[in-house]
Amino acid sequence: MCEANVYLLKEGREELFMEKVDRIIPGEDQTLFLESVFGERRVIKAAIREMELVHHRIIIEELAAKPAASGTEIWLDLDTDHGHFHEGEEVKLSLFKGYNMKADPDANWNAPKVIVAGQSGESQAELHLHGHIGHIHLGSDNVGLIQVYAHETGEQELYAKLLVEVGHHHHHDLQPIGLPLEIQPCGYSHARMGENYEVQVLKDGKPLAGVKLRATYASTRNNDYAHNLVTDEEGKARLFLTARGNYLFSVSHDGITSTFTLIKSF
Amino acid sequence: MCKDMSPLEKAIQFHGHICPGLLMGVRAAEIALNYLGVDPDEEGELGAIVENDSCGVDAVQAILGCTFGKGNLYFKDYGKMVYTVFSRSNGRAIRIAQKFDALNHPVMERYRELKSRKLLDSQEEIELEDVLAQVFEWIMSQPADQLFDWREVELPQLDKAKVSKSIQCQNCGEGVMQTHAILTEEGLLCPECHLYWRGDNLVRS
Repeated sequence: MCEANVYLLKEGREELFMEKVDRIIPGEDQTLFLESVFGERRVIKAAIREMELVHHRIIIEELAAKPAASGTEIWLDLDTDHGHFHEGEEVKLSLFKGYNMKADPDANWNAPKVIVAGQSGESQAELHLHGHIGHIHLGSDNVGLIQVYAHETGEQELYAKLLVEVGHHHHHDLQPIGLPLEIQPCGYSHARMGENYEVQVLKDGKPLAGVKLRATYASTRNNDYAHNLVTDEEGKARLFLTARGNYLFSVSHDGITSTFTLIKSF
Repeated sequence: MCKDMSPLEKAIQFHGHICPGLLMGVRAAEIALNYLGVDPDEEGELGAIVENDSCGVDAVQAILGCTFGKGNLYFKDYGKMVYTVFSRSNGRAIRIAQKFDALNHPVMERYRELKSRKLLDSQEEIELEDVLAQVFEWIMSQPADQLFDWREVELPQLDKAKVSKSIQCQNCGEGVMQTHAILTEEGLLCPECHLYWRGDNLVRS
């Protein structure tokens, strides 16, 4: 046996990238060509970090294009891949900074704040920054649909919004939080693959027409946003969902960049 | 998962990835359910005859609940994108055939071209992701009658799955369904040992 499994290093964790690789050829532009004993071939822009030949393991790390500073944004995500939390369960969220759902490991934080916008008013949540990830714990006594947003001031004002569902079927007419630039889902419901999802962009609470709205998803190989939409006269835009996992919508206008994370349970 | 998955999501989870063949199977299963007006959760009431063993059959299994294991999926190796779905509860059956030119579209041509290549560079892999997303939206958004022809047919007269007693193969000692054992001079053999015994298989796996 002379082949090895190749693992991709992602945020300090190893993910199996390809099994039983028996050929690796470095290519141009820092790419690696990999071929398995099954004939599968893949090319990835990555560097070899470690080779454990006795254990037939090769660890690589993807070399992603660094995001342009002007494109930096923040976004919130659930700390579960279940799509929602159950009543009594501790609600944990994460805050990221980067671009196109790819966190920038060298990102510098500028004292971001996380706010829970409830029906009885707003309250600031505890945020613990560990490297390029912010950890948020909202406790275990939450119920219903919770709107959470993050805000970071700077040359570009950054906002991120997320809807957190605790328990099942807590649907009601969601009112916008009232951010200076906000992406609001139209008719909140569970988003599903193979269906259209509509959002509305609001500037100071009013529909913003003709603005570019970008959308991406966690599994994309694209270095830039996979979808570029333009809002209609009602500030609305629709996207047909074709990817597994969560989506991120992002809009920039008048020195503000605002994101909305769409949580899908599949 | 504590929330119901949509039929499409069930099919993708079952199949493991998204591809045009699976999506066409999803559309065929949707037609069958709408036409027959049945609930796929009525275990054992639905049946499907599939005339291919391609990706679309996984959608039939995941959405209609017609599976090899339950014995309500019948495979005819005709190499045709045809599905006959029937309900024993209401006695109706529908034959759904993919139109010959259903997938003639520029975006499908580009998808086939990229998939046919043994090696894609990183830019082409990104393009393939984008093209597959376009194929996805296109297939799922097409009116059903642009993709398939269908008509009601007679309810197929097929036996329900039967459980058969296992007996021991006289050569390998493994159990084999009585209905599949073959009587030879060596005694009752399983089909695999029978082939070996006859000399059809010189090398056994």
